[in-house]
Amino acid sequence: MEAQLISAPENSMIALIQSNFDILPVGFFIADEKGIIRYLDSEAARLIGYDGIDDAVGNTLFDIDINLGCGLSDELATILSGRVFRLDEHRCTNRRGHFAVINVQCGPFRQNDGAVAGIFGLLQDVTDSWKKKSELEEAIFELSVMSQVSEALSSTADLDDVLKIILTGVTASQGLGFNRAYLFLVDVDGRNLEGKIAVGPSSPEEAGHIWSRLAGQHRTLREILQDYKESEDNSSFSLSRLVEDWSIPLDSSNIFSDVIRVGQGTLIFRDDLTGDESTGVLTRLNTDCLALAPIISKGKKLGLIAADNQITGKEIAPSMVDHLQTFANQTAVAIERSRLYDSQLERARELELINQQLADSRDQMIRVEKMSVIGELTSSIAHELRNPLTVIGGFGNLILSTGQLEGSAEYLNIILSEVKRAESVLHQVLDFSRASRTKTRRVEFNSLVKAAHEILLVKLNRAQESPVLHLAEGELPIWGNPDQLRHALLQFMLMTVEELTGECSIDISTSINGKNVRMVIAFSGEDKARARVVKTLRQVFGNPSGTQKLSILVAGETLKYHVGNYGVEGSQENMPCLYIELPEYRGHTDE
Amino acid sequence: MNKILVVDDETHVRKLYEEILSRDGYKVITVATAGEAMDMLSRDNFSLIVLDIELEESSGLEILKELKRIYPEIPVILNSAYSVYKSDFHSWVADAYVVKSSDMEPLKNKIKELSRA
Repeated sequence: MEAQLISAPENSMIALIQSNFDILPVGFFIADEKGIIRYLDSEAARLIGYDGIDDAVGNTLFDIDINLGCGLSDELATILSGRVFRLDEHRCTNRRGHFAVINVQCGPFRQNDGAVAGIFGLLQDVTDSWKKKSELEEAIFELSVMSQVSEALSSTADLDDVLKIILTGVTASQGLGFNRAYLFLVDVDGRNLEGKIAVGPSSPEEAGHIWSRLAGQHRTLREILQDYKESEDNSSFSLSRLVEDWSIPLDSSNIFSDVIRVGQGTLIFRDDLTGDESTGVLTRLNTDCLALAPIISKGKKLGLIAADNQITGKEIAPSMVDHLQTFANQTAVAIERSRLYDSQLERARELELINQQLADSRDQMIRVEKMSVIGELTSSIAHELRNPLTVIGGFGNLILSTGQLEGSAEYLNIILSEVKRAESVLHQVLDFSRASRTKTRRVEFNSLVKAAHEILLVKLNRAQESPVLHLAEGELPIWGNPDQLRHALLQFMLMTVEELTGECSIDISTSINGKNVRMVIAFSGEDKARARVVKTLRQVFGNPSGTQKLSILVAGETLKYHVGNYGVEGSQENMPCLYIELPEYRGHTDE
Repeated sequence: MNKILVVDDETHVRKLYEEILSRDGYKVITVATAGEAMDMLSRDNFSLIVLDIELEESSGLEILKELKRIYPEIPVILNSAYSVYKSDFHSWVADAYVVKSSDMEPLKNKIKELSRA
């Protein structure tokens, strides 16, 4: 280290200082009581920006102030009075235009007799440590923000909520502090970038209103993110509307598709752009500078976050683009997680449905088995009853044919009538029990209704007359025992139609009703016909005769076993009608 | 006079058929089992057989085949409380199938029809 001696009395002290400070990475200078620099070393000259020591000696502290802006000249009197002047991590740009961060310390320079002869100053270059410290602070800030955002994101799997939390973090002053943020997602085909959501004010007036209110609340980023659902006013409706219907083809050439293609965040300035499409993007967002960060997960391009400071005009530092990219990376993870959650939820719903169908099928099989046992039992009983009825009725007819009854003919006729009725009941029970032996399978509902309708016409002694059949187009699949169901449908048709033949027009139709297939027996006609229909349906389903009761019981139970139902519906305006519903077949294992 | 063999394990049914068919001019012999039927057929000539299916000791369908093998010229009417045997392949060998009923007309008509033939 070189030194310049100014005057003889100071020489020994200067030499002493020089020998002590030479090994330290600091610069030093000495000025007299008038503030004129009497000595400085080469490190001090470098920091201030002098060409050399000779270039510095003779200048004043004011000259150092001009170069370093540390206010030494103003403090000269104070230092001469014995006080120490100290300035830590002072950022400055010296006379050569070099940026540096320095620590400045000045104190009184005393001679051997203790008298103050001037001031002694130390200049320490701490630029490197300051840069490292700044980087560390930036990293801590980013980690802190991301930690709070991650915490908020973990509270929801809903994609809309996820996107809003992200953009709230981007725009909150406690977060990245951008004025406005926009989020775009790649569509399912991977062809277009579609605007989804925007957060921030759309005008300076709106910004003033919102920000002044938020400033008064003194909330932490964690609190803001926790309340994101309530922060509707922060997500400007008009700003969101600006992007919601916006679809940008990824194969076109513009700043958005370019950023997605390159896969790296960037800062875009209007003045740097060429091409109408790119400037058009900035124009639509009413901004001159935009920070962009692609959202990419495992190489899959998911979307893009854009942010600006157009309202305040604050410059966007390159480090903010890095922070925005960190947000975009976090967004990619959150979107993937949300989509995975949705797909798992959908899968769970499907499994639940399948389980339900399995449970229904199992119940139905149990019911069918029960039906089969009941069928066997009723069949045996019915056959055992048929023989005695044959004998009773046969001998009754025999006695009646002799004509020797002496006033008992009426009673005998009653006996024969009841035998006939009992045989009719047996006939129905046997039909039912025979049907019970048929296995269940996938059946076409229309074909069952058609077959029952054909038998109905035969029983009514008709050709192609009423009731008219209207079958729904396409297949109406159901699961069940075709014989049982055909029998049940025919019984319902017979019970209602037989009584009303000639009284009104009757239509039988099939249709799909939600998850059920449906057969409707509808009636039409004048008021008189309506009264007759109402009366008949009331009688059949409210107060049925003995034979009807059995028919309703058997047919109703058959529907119930097939998870179906029946009923009468209608209104003041419409004629009542009878409906029968069975669940539409959605596929399960064949028996 | 046409002679009819009625095979049925129910006493009252046998009695009923005997009374009814006798009044129509038939000579009616009734038996309760398959063995009695085969025995009766070996000793007498019959113009028609009315055969129940659910007999106590055996099935009418089992002896139907034997009857038709030995006496192919005698018409057999299967007469049962069960209509389900109509679809049984073994019952197709019979000349007719009439379900038991208090209304005897279907059986009488079928006997008349087969006796004429």
